[in-house]
Amino acid sequence: MTDYGHDLMFGTFVTPIAQPVQHAVQQAVLADRLGLDLVTFQDHPYVSRFHDTWTLIPYAAARTERVRLTANVTNLPLRFPAQLARSVATLDRLTGGRIELGLGAGGFWDAIEAMGGRRLRPGEALTALEEGVQIIRGVWDTSTPGGLTVDGKFHAVRGAKRGPAPAHRPSIWIGGYKPRMLRTIGTIADGWLPSAQNLRGGIEDLARGSEIIDEAAESAGRRPQDVRRLLNLTGDFDDTSRGFLQGPPDQWVEELTDLALTYGTSVFILFSDDPGMTEMFAKEVAPAVRDEVRKARGTTS
Amino acid sequence: MSRQHSPIKLGVELAHDDVAAAVDCAVEAERLGLDLVVVPSTSSGPDGWSLVSWIAGRTDRIGLVAGIDPAQRNLGVLGRASTSLDRLSGGRLTLELHPSPEISPAEALTVLRRMWDTSTRRVRHDGAIKLAGAEPGPLPAHDIRIWMSGDVELAGSTADGWHGRLDDPDQLAQNLQLLRKSAEKADRDPHELERVITLTTWDDVDAMTTLVTEHGVTAFILRIDENSPEGLLERFVQEIAPRLREAGRQAVADGALTPSPVRRAEIRARRVSGIDYDGLPAHLAANAVEPGDALYNSIRSNYLRGGSPGLILRPQSVSDVVDAVAFARRHRHIPLGIRSGGHGVSGRSTNDGGLVIDVGALNDIEVLDRDRRLVRIGPGARWRDVATALQPYGWALGSGDHGGVGVGGLATAGGIGYLSRKHGLTIDHLQSVDMVLADGTTVRAGRSENPELFWAVRGAGANFGIVTSFEFVVDEVSDVGWAQLAFHVSDPEEFLLKFGETVAATPRDTTPFLIMNGSTAHVMAMVASDDPDEILAQLRPIAQIAPLVQQQVVIAPYAAVMNMFPESPHQAFGEPVSRSGLVTSITPGFAAVSARLLDSGAVHWFQLRSMGGAIADVEPDATAFAHRDAAFQITAMGSNAQRVDREWDRLRPYFSGIYTSFEADNSPQRLTEAFPPPTLARLRKLKEQLDPTGLFRDNFPLTDSHSVGSPA
Repeated sequence: MTDYGHDLMFGTFVTPIAQPVQHAVQQAVLADRLGLDLVTFQDHPYVSRFHDTWTLIPYAAARTERVRLTANVTNLPLRFPAQLARSVATLDRLTGGRIELGLGAGGFWDAIEAMGGRRLRPGEALTALEEGVQIIRGVWDTSTPGGLTVDGKFHAVRGAKRGPAPAHRPSIWIGGYKPRMLRTIGTIADGWLPSAQNLRGGIEDLARGSEIIDEAAESAGRRPQDVRRLLNLTGDFDDTSRGFLQGPPDQWVEELTDLALTYGTSVFILFSDDPGMTEMFAKEVAPAVRDEVRKARGTTS
Repeated sequence: MSRQHSPIKLGVELAHDDVAAAVDCAVEAERLGLDLVVVPSTSSGPDGWSLVSWIAGRTDRIGLVAGIDPAQRNLGVLGRASTSLDRLSGGRLTLELHPSPEISPAEALTVLRRMWDTSTRRVRHDGAIKLAGAEPGPLPAHDIRIWMSGDVELAGSTADGWHGRLDDPDQLAQNLQLLRKSAEKADRDPHELERVITLTTWDDVDAMTTLVTEHGVTAFILRIDENSPEGLLERFVQEIAPRLREAGRQAVADGALTPSPVRRAEIRARRVSGIDYDGLPAHLAANAVEPGDALYNSIRSNYLRGGSPGLILRPQSVSDVVDAVAFARRHRHIPLGIRSGGHGVSGRSTNDGGLVIDVGALNDIEVLDRDRRLVRIGPGARWRDVATALQPYGWALGSGDHGGVGVGGLATAGGIGYLSRKHGLTIDHLQSVDMVLADGTTVRAGRSENPELFWAVRGAGANFGIVTSFEFVVDEVSDVGWAQLAFHVSDPEEFLLKFGETVAATPRDTTPFLIMNGSTAHVMAMVASDDPDEILAQLRPIAQIAPLVQQQVVIAPYAAVMNMFPESPHQAFGEPVSRSGLVTSITPGFAAVSARLLDSGAVHWFQLRSMGGAIADVEPDATAFAHRDAAFQITAMGSNAQRVDREWDRLRPYFSGIYTSFEADNSPQRLTEAFPPPTLARLRKLKEQLDPTGLFRDNFPLTDSHSVGSPA
């Protein structure tokens, strides 16, 4: 059980619905106004009722001032890594360092294939993800002289011109659950981004997953705290308690504080398309969890 | 008098390495009144798509041209991304396909257009680009035009425009000739194509105006980067823009240019004869939709009526509405539908082969005076948006029972909704309207200004003009009780009688609507109270009418009820068969005949809306909606008009009138039922003054002789 000691971040997970047109943008503007740290959008380019996420992000970024933005998570099989890297870097420069990069290996292969993506087996998709990350970081790395060459099996670039360099080092947060993916995350990622509702073994899966990630990080010569632990969460505010994150704000504070101190989760991303819920999370939950965690860390360290 | 439109567009091309400088330049271009900002695609450096999407968020008006290398992106995703950017930016996007050795721009163009065509369910394409059943859509906000740079012959035969450079004037002139020839060879009208020229500097403005008058160039783009001389953009705007625009006006006068690009041949082939499409003022033409346009299938029909209008005008401002009405005056030989939300059950907002003026874009909602709760609302706003906008203030304005309904149609007819017994009809909240009349004049009507028109608008507004904004005093409304009850009905006749008695004894806080269907009855009731005990006390007598098979009671914001149904496009087919009747009470005779009608199978929808309460506080002659004594509004819908009418005619003796919004029968007799004799006489007198020739004639026309209506 580890607290990796990261500063806490609080954000929302917004459905990028295309109708009403400005709905998702308004959620981002609200999060910005409420002082949340992060707004994230699903990325399912094969779904026609959604906006394209890497179009929505620049537009929403232009309408906000402080909040960080990312896809949660980017569908790599339908994005070309070098292009994605340029897109993230361009936006990072425009926003003064507010863009991060949530990445996923892809899951809905029928839909991906329908859109012209290549159907990959799970192992292949993981390799493709590793190659993609190598290309993305390579494009961002303008301090290394010469062109970028990555001779991958699924993604390849030969002598590509590097740049632009992002304004800050965007974190690459990867979603995934299976051991092999977790080892990859420990080896190359800046963060692990699972969704609580997909943890088949419940919250305890966080501890089991983190163990694999920590080991992988250490065998790659990294420190466990080089990999942030993020979590997508669903919840409901209610007068009485009905379960995990279903109850009054006090209960939320207690449960999220426990996640931070026991499981090392430092980024809490709430599924919310509801302004009332987002406001409650930003005002009643986030500051109190920060306080509690600060107090607990103060007494133990 | 506004300056005459010039077909020439002027823009700036961003060639900066520094993205922040590029954005500043785009914002400056918008401020200076330029029309376009072009973001080229490059194989390295900043990503143009991200930049143009960011610029969309930082500008309001300027057109956005995104350069695309087809090989650098998944084209299916690009189709979706283009739709997103076009919708987010309010219809400002143009794409420019750059040459690519791997993927032909012509193939990319085909795939992109198919990704925007929502008339098919799946897109399959097997070429250099592969799609294996991608979902097309959503629909862009406007027809996204696709330009090409490079291969001029390919552009001439397939694209919506060609983008070249001014570097070598002779070469350019040759290319423009080749463009024209290849268009003609492909059986295209060369005026379908935009001709776009980039320059970095200029010395011979005469040569540039010649490009317009001789070669039909439609746009000039000034390429700017960090090294461009200070003030270059201002000089472009001040020194040569006026001359280029003037050359464009001259070219139109000479017939060398059209006021805006001509639609593609396959679209023009679907035009309806007798409509002067090419005589449309340019600013109306910019948002007009005609058969064959990408947007046509999504707006041709309304909620319940299938339509095939020949032209849909979508004014963006009051002066656009004035021009649209002038255009309608020149087209009296075809039907004229006026549309706000297109939800009207009577179906009048579309037609076959006619004109539709859709004021959906006039949808602002603005609080004018917080103390008085005075709110100004555009006719195109939907009631769900009104409810959502008023909720933070603790206010609401009753409408009907569906949030997708538009403001304009309902607020000129009546507005019998869930808050009506407590707070009256929607029209009872009206303080004033701004209108465009048949002769094109704009007027304000309120209690002291044009009071007779103000009277008429509240119930018969469709006859007198197009309302461009409404001012309402809205109500303070807390959260409300919202009940959905389902009953088992063994004896419909008895159920109706009991329902009538119970509602008569129910406090006016509660407004129940009843839907009867076979052996089941559904009651949707709103209680204007947030006190659980009070809510339950008022609902209990209703719940005891018959055995309940399902019940749900919640306390929710009024806006939540209005947002209950998600927005969905209107894609009806055929003619609605809907009938309306008003009764002052549910008598045994009415109940018996209604039970017979329900048993006949002729109707699939039978609804009673409770009235009375605050509705009846208003004098019958205070508004053109005169049926203040009605206790219920009854709507029946079926699929076969003859069958429905055979049963419905037996009910007519019980009716004290009809409500226009739910009546799809447009025979003249219905008019006398909608408006009692004194009301009708007064309305006709005013119609004689304000619309003597019957321009507004498709929705309960008051002038019989002009009631050409739509084909029944």
